[in-house]
Amino acid sequence: MNHNTRTRFRRIVPAAAAAAIAAVALAGCANRGGEAAQSGDFPSKSITMVVPYQAGGASDLSARTLAAEMEKKLGQSIVVENRVGGAGSVGLTYLSARPADGYTIGYLPVETVMLGYQGYDIDPARYDLLGQIVSVPATIAVPANSPYKTLQDLIDAAKAKPGTITVANSGAGSIWQAATKALNKTAGVELKPVPFDGGAPAVNAAIAGQVDAVAAGVSETSVAAADGRLRVLAILNDKASAALPGVATAKELGTDVSIGGWGAVGTPAGLPDDVRDELAAAVKAAAESESFVSVIKKSGNLPVYEAPEAFQAFYDAEAKRFSTLFAK
Amino acid sequence: MNALAEGLGQIADPTVLLCILIGALAGMLVGTFPGLTATMAVALASAFTLSMDPIPGLAVLLTIYVAANFGDRVPAILINTPGTPASICTTFDGYPMAKKGLAGVALTVSAFASAIGTFLGLILLVVAAIPISRLALEFGPAETFALVVFGLTMMVGVSGGKIGKGLIAGAVGLALASVGRDPITGTERFTFGVLELSDGIPFIAVIIGLFGIADILDQMLSYRAEKHTPISNFGRWWPNRSEMKRMVKPLGIGTGIGAVVGAMPAAGGDIAGIMSWAAAKKASKHPEEFGKGSIEGLTAGDTASNAGIGPSVATTLALGIPGDSVMAVVLGSLIVWGIQPGPALFTSQPDLVWSIAGILAVATVLTLGLSLLRLRGVTKLLELKPHYLWTVIIVFCMVGTFAVNNSVIDVVVMLIFGVVGLFMRRHGFPAGPVVLGLILGKLAEGNLRRALEIGGPENILGSPIAVTILLISLAAVTLPPVIDRLRARRAVRRAASTSSNPTDQPLEQKETTIS
Repeated sequence: MNHNTRTRFRRIVPAAAAAAIAAVALAGCANRGGEAAQSGDFPSKSITMVVPYQAGGASDLSARTLAAEMEKKLGQSIVVENRVGGAGSVGLTYLSARPADGYTIGYLPVETVMLGYQGYDIDPARYDLLGQIVSVPATIAVPANSPYKTLQDLIDAAKAKPGTITVANSGAGSIWQAATKALNKTAGVELKPVPFDGGAPAVNAAIAGQVDAVAAGVSETSVAAADGRLRVLAILNDKASAALPGVATAKELGTDVSIGGWGAVGTPAGLPDDVRDELAAAVKAAAESESFVSVIKKSGNLPVYEAPEAFQAFYDAEAKRFSTLFAK
Repeated sequence: MNALAEGLGQIADPTVLLCILIGALAGMLVGTFPGLTATMAVALASAFTLSMDPIPGLAVLLTIYVAANFGDRVPAILINTPGTPASICTTFDGYPMAKKGLAGVALTVSAFASAIGTFLGLILLVVAAIPISRLALEFGPAETFALVVFGLTMMVGVSGGKIGKGLIAGAVGLALASVGRDPITGTERFTFGVLELSDGIPFIAVIIGLFGIADILDQMLSYRAEKHTPISNFGRWWPNRSEMKRMVKPLGIGTGIGAVVGAMPAAGGDIAGIMSWAAAKKASKHPEEFGKGSIEGLTAGDTASNAGIGPSVATTLALGIPGDSVMAVVLGSLIVWGIQPGPALFTSQPDLVWSIAGILAVATVLTLGLSLLRLRGVTKLLELKPHYLWTVIIVFCMVGTFAVNNSVIDVVVMLIFGVVGLFMRRHGFPAGPVVLGLILGKLAEGNLRRALEIGGPENILGSPIAVTILLISLAAVTLPPVIDRLRARRAVRRAASTSSNPTDQPLEQKETTIS
């Protein structure tokens, strides 16, 4: 018995030790980086780009395409790292805790200015902006056989029966749920947002007529709109979209609401000026490159480049808007 | 017919065939590595394939998808660790078979069941893509909720004969499913301020912990050098004729369930496999063998988790609605390539549909061949001394789990569930119900609440599909005990005349060794 226990112990110790070493190594990997930047020769090593969403999604596509173009300009490789969870807050928290030396940059989605009002510890001021790269206008769409032919029909119906007209969205706290709320606020009605588990199931529910309407990004509704399974009532943006020919903006239809997703590139706050200029120039070159523009256009979103200064004003305005939209 | 020739002709291109080969090797490797999923591999590959033409690009992506669903069976059978969630059900019977010295047969049967399942699902894609996608569209929140409830009735089936302990384990799984953000209001629940838990308990970490790590801990603690018979003793490779015969019925059950579940958005091979395993057990003449190394159980699970691939591709192409998370990634690539999915695709670009079907078919045959070839190489690896093997497996599991979200928390969860799994195993609690509760609990809650948000209870009760499935679920739970009791009563009456006592079965012997 004693002998057995000891033999067993001898077998277990190396295994446990190896597991412990692996754990330490993993933890080490997680906290790697952080050497101080030497100005002048930036970048002297590869850069990490944190994407707060799953590989393969729309944000990831934008980030990876941009990273590939930025590499050409910077002459260093950019490693895209997906840090997923908490509606994006895991990746954003990770990014803000990195040293502000320019070797960690990140994809900042619209959620950066929203999550702070939804119980997450995310503060927009923790990031320095390098410029906006993409815009994802919101759309409101109804099933092809819906009685609502125009945005006004939908608003009138919501006025007649407050809280019963259902509008699907991709999830609780998503930008598309916020879009429904923004529409409610502007039009003074009460459409009922129904959160689904992702954009595709939400659009699916609208096509099948299980909900009255869906609020989703242009890229999500344009496919079903093209073959007539969905009718897009309005684009909630200042400009019409090439992906949805003939669909008017909400502003043109008399309900002045403009809301949607966007994507930008940022770093932890406190970046040295010369490093920031270098990176911002690379973002500009990449975001305006032919291949980036064509990939984003094909995905149904809008390639929109805004320089850091102009974008900062919009970013602050968005943060303010969501503070009132999510106030209870 | 012209479109058929044209579509298949495009695959005969050497570049495309090379792409399929690369995809097959990459997919099998990813599948074999616990923690790395097909979704992740396809997502990373899509970054490279976007610059390629659609057909070679799709060849890489779809082949990875198919091949990962073969590779993941190998660790499930040999080390009780599902390579991807789709092979959870493979551990139920595959690993017991391996322990009995039938690893060779288990691997062969599993490879063939996977291949046949994929093929039958593929036929559905070709002949019935549009009807399948219509069916998928019918499944809104109310109908999905009903289907998930039906899935939950399988809890008894996967309890391995210990119904009381199985239900406790299932309840634990359901409770674990409530961790994370509320699906409707977004309020945080039971996360204790851990940001990484706000999306719920990481599922892959749980299954690797409960199955793989728990088994290794169990082996470590009950290791006896003199009693040890390594699994490297693969036994024979080919199933004999009676075993082949027993594969037929589970193949049918698996294909049916796999096809329906595969077509549903949000439900994938993991759920299909478990449901089919439980259904095959009910239909089997030897239900007592299930969970202890039944060829039928292995076949049913593996067929179902692969039969969903075809229908999942079908809904993606015909609706533009991804049938599962892998196809969600592929859909993104399709759109960038300028391919507009939708019902019109089947009339406007039939050659593309044929090409896709062809790629899947070639990939299946190639992967089947590879998995039969490569099996022999695995033997060598398993001839390592067990303590080296344990170490290697634990390190691999940790790295794989970390890679899912680049998160150390996931690794911690995996280790915790390894210890929980060991406890459960030592005290006779089955792990299957925990996993079922964890996967289905989220779907059940989200869809029920969504259905109620949309239209109150009438939304569920007014749907013929939902009501029918709920009634079937009710019958599935209530009828078997009633029938058993009637049978028992009849037996007692009959026994009264011959004065014997056939109702009580002898208690199962505990398999664990406690020193």
